[in-house]
Amino acid sequence: MQRIATASEIGIADAVRHAAETKTPLEIVSGGTKRKFGRPVAAETMLDVSAITGIVKYEPEELVITARAATPLAEIEAVLATKKQTLGFAPTDWGPLFGEPKGKATLAGIVATNASGARRVKAGAARDHVIGCRFVNGRGEAIKAGGFVIKNVTGFDLPKLMCGAFGTLGVLTELTLRVTPAPPRVSTLALRTSPQEGLRALREAAKLSLDPTGLAYIPDVFDPDETEGGTGGGLALIRVEGSHAPLEDKLARLTARFAGLDTIVLDDDTTRILFRDIGDGKFLLSRNCDIWRLCVPQSDAHAAVEASGARFWYADWAGGLLWLGLPASEETATQLRFITKKFGGHATLMRGDAAARARLPVFEPEAPARATLTRSVKHAFDPETIFNPGRMYKDL
Amino acid sequence: MLDLPAPDMAVLARRGAIVRALRTIVPDGVISDEATLTAYDGDALTAYRQRPMVCVLPQTTEQVSALLAYAAAENIRVVPRGAGTSLSGGSLPLADGILLGLSRMTKVLEVDYENRCAVVQPGVTNASVTRAVQAAGFYYAPDPSSQIACSIGGNVAENSGGIHCLKYGLTTQNLMGVELVLINGERIRLGGKHAGDGGLDLLSVVCGSEGLLGVVTEATLRILPKAQATRTLLIAYDSVRKAGETVAAIIAAGIIPAALEFMDRPCIATVEAFCAPGYPPDAEAILIAEVDGMDSEAEDEARRIGKIAKANGATSVRECASDEERARAWSGRKAAFGAMGRLTPDMLCMDGTIPRKALADVLERIAEFAIKYRLGCCNVFHAGDGNLHPLIVFDCMKEGELERAEAFGADILKLCVEMGGVLTGEHGVGVEKKALMGEMFSDTDLAQQERLKCAFDSAYLLNPGKVFPSLHACVELGHMHVRDGRMPFANLPRM
Ligand SMILES: Cc1cc2nc3c(=O)[nH]c(=O)nc-3n(C[C@H](O)[C@H](O)[C@H](O)COP(=O)(O)OP(=O)(O)OC[C@H]3O[C@@H](n4cnc5c(N)ncnc54)[C@H](O)[C@@H]3O)c2cc1C
Repeated sequence: MQRIATASEIGIADAVRHAAETKTPLEIVSGGTKRKFGRPVAAETMLDVSAITGIVKYEPEELVITARAATPLAEIEAVLATKKQTLGFAPTDWGPLFGEPKGKATLAGIVATNASGARRVKAGAARDHVIGCRFVNGRGEAIKAGGFVIKNVTGFDLPKLMCGAFGTLGVLTELTLRVTPAPPRVSTLALRTSPQEGLRALREAAKLSLDPTGLAYIPDVFDPDETEGGTGGGLALIRVEGSHAPLEDKLARLTARFAGLDTIVLDDDTTRILFRDIGDGKFLLSRNCDIWRLCVPQSDAHAAVEASGARFWYADWAGGLLWLGLPASEETATQLRFITKKFGGHATLMRGDAAARARLPVFEPEAPARATLTRSVKHAFDPETIFNPGRMYKDL
Repeated sequence: MLDLPAPDMAVLARRGAIVRALRTIVPDGVISDEATLTAYDGDALTAYRQRPMVCVLPQTTEQVSALLAYAAAENIRVVPRGAGTSLSGGSLPLADGILLGLSRMTKVLEVDYENRCAVVQPGVTNASVTRAVQAAGFYYAPDPSSQIACSIGGNVAENSGGIHCLKYGLTTQNLMGVELVLINGERIRLGGKHAGDGGLDLLSVVCGSEGLLGVVTEATLRILPKAQATRTLLIAYDSVRKAGETVAAIIAAGIIPAALEFMDRPCIATVEAFCAPGYPPDAEAILIAEVDGMDSEAEDEARRIGKIAKANGATSVRECASDEERARAWSGRKAAFGAMGRLTPDMLCMDGTIPRKALADVLERIAEFAIKYRLGCCNVFHAGDGNLHPLIVFDCMKEGELERAEAFGADILKLCVEMGGVLTGEHGVGVEKKALMGEMFSDTDLAQQERLKCAFDSAYLLNPGKVFPSLHACVELGHMHVRDGRMPFANLPRM
């Protein structure tokens, strides 16, 4: 594989322009931790942008940070922590899922995959926090979109469109994100109960105006103390935030609401580690299995899990996100898409070998009118289809 | 200056046949007589008026779809319209265009408390979403001041905000999905009751697209449980700068208030005369700060904000003791626009956003501009997110005042951009600010945005003449029509 490395936006624009002229497909790589997420890219040339790093501007009172695209997430989080701030969508570190080291994720990679953790139930996804960007389009032009202030409706919201586009629309060179005050303290009420009751409890908790910032269910198959088969008593986890008194109030209200169930309170440290692991997919990591992520309406989570037949699974986002340990096979793909058709939603093959990812529809297949539109949009940004060809869909 | 695309004479010549064809699609909802059409000749950007060729008020998505397919086949321009409260001329009709009014599609289709969302038709007003769910203790967070009138379709198209969006987000953060009808009549679904979407996040560009990409015929909105407690503080200052510094200090202390609104002296005086909300009469500026959450949370934050305000030189800090008092405090803020409207024949409401730290400087410069242009101006704005709403008062009938008001407004917006801000925080570009887009974006940036428009609407039939400073033909921009889902250059090697 040929590699083009450049540390500047101008360098990227030049490389892209040349690639467009010669119709040379490019695989865009920043930290490289998620190269195995998505379909294998049909490109012999790698555009390595990992040197485009550095925080450009951080203004804590404005709740905004601007950084060059490949800035390591760890660096950003460390700088924000000095001002007791954080990225509200709890960006995830999926490197280890793909056999890559921990802590190598970059901002551009997080944004391109819309990698959002447990706080999404409350704070939204990466796309809700990206307010501006610069990118190079498929013509080799450097484009600015959005701005540096949170409230902005000037022109189309292209920065959000870049989120979750897997680098198929442009090469990100700079990103501006809104930041959030870090929660002073976090805690979790854990309820031991069956999947069905547990998932219901999560939805009940979401109705209580306690602003839960994590709503997950971990079945007992992951409990090291359980025997094979389990007892049907997994853990429904309700995470709340606040300063001292409000946090105690929230826990008290939750405990009262779920009186009669077997409950325990998890402390600050445990909560932080646990929910980070939940976002990072850690529970399935150790199982060495293929992984699918299934998004359905929260109220259909239990039925969807049952229909999927997964033994190893867990739920985040109040059941709205199901991590499923299921094979990267035609049967699974068919079954999961049957489920999304029935309930609404989408299924994505998150981890599988290259052959399977090339063969299967990794992302949810689109209805015909929508698929045509997707292709027109792709063409509007990348007319020669040189960016990450094949990554999302076979022909795109 | 009204600068809309030249009318297509070939279309106007066929007006009679077009009206007849539209009557077969929406038998009971075609308006073609001049007198009634005049009622539809503009929106809340009152300086601009244009009667549409014809107005159609469909009641079903099928009708919208048939109508757009017809318009596309006949090459007729279409302007979608909700309630017509746009302040940027977004729903200003075209002389040769169909005005597509969604105001008869007013059903709340479903309220789903398990998934905490409401599914509504586009003509439902913003306020009636909350009304539909409040008995169960829920509400819809985005709350534009026009909420009793404006429609959800318009909110989606403008990505509208409100006084609570610093904490709870704009429309885009509270919109889970839409059904969208494309100009060729095809219906697509983006998002839904589930999180996100499997493919490209097209919902994110449809929200805020000002009617240029498609017609929203259904929206799935997130509803939230009402906070246990709300506390509201009325804070007065003897200088604008001190109020600005308080805003920065509150945010720096890690507090995100549910609302943080600012009014200057001329604004306070005007609303006081209008509805007597009881604001401190001698203040140069006031802040209304609202916090919500658990009892203890709201209490704690209100106390901290009070302390910060005093430390930054507030002359008085008063907490509203009852719901009535709170409603009274807000009544002034919410009536600001109407109160000003009573004093003046015409008004321009600007909408730039600036970094909070530039607040005091920008307000000083606006005062200088007011002297230069010999026009009145008062300031009310969403201080928490730096979204300014200078209200410029003028009289269209007086020679040269409209021109001076527009030049004044343009200077304010250029200043916002110069300070690191943007042209519009929530009202949209429309026709009002399109000529200023070059202040923020290069031609290359704008061409990229226009190419997105072409991807949805290559014949440029949906709401042309809005947002972009000049109209380019899509072929000029390199647009290529995608047919049957096949990509051009399909011969590139792929796996
Ligand atoms: C007194 C007053 C106070 C206001 N306060 C606020 C405020 O606090 N915050 C704020 O954000 N705005 C505010 N606005 C502006 C305005 O109310 C919003 O922009 C609102 O969202 C417009 O809704 P509408 O239904 O009136 O849309 P319209 O004015 O009818 O249309 C607005 C735009 O949306 C498009 N559109 C409408 N319906 C559809 C649809 N179904 N599909 C596709 N496109 C569509 C139109 O083509 C147009 O471009 C205020 C306006 C007034 C007059």
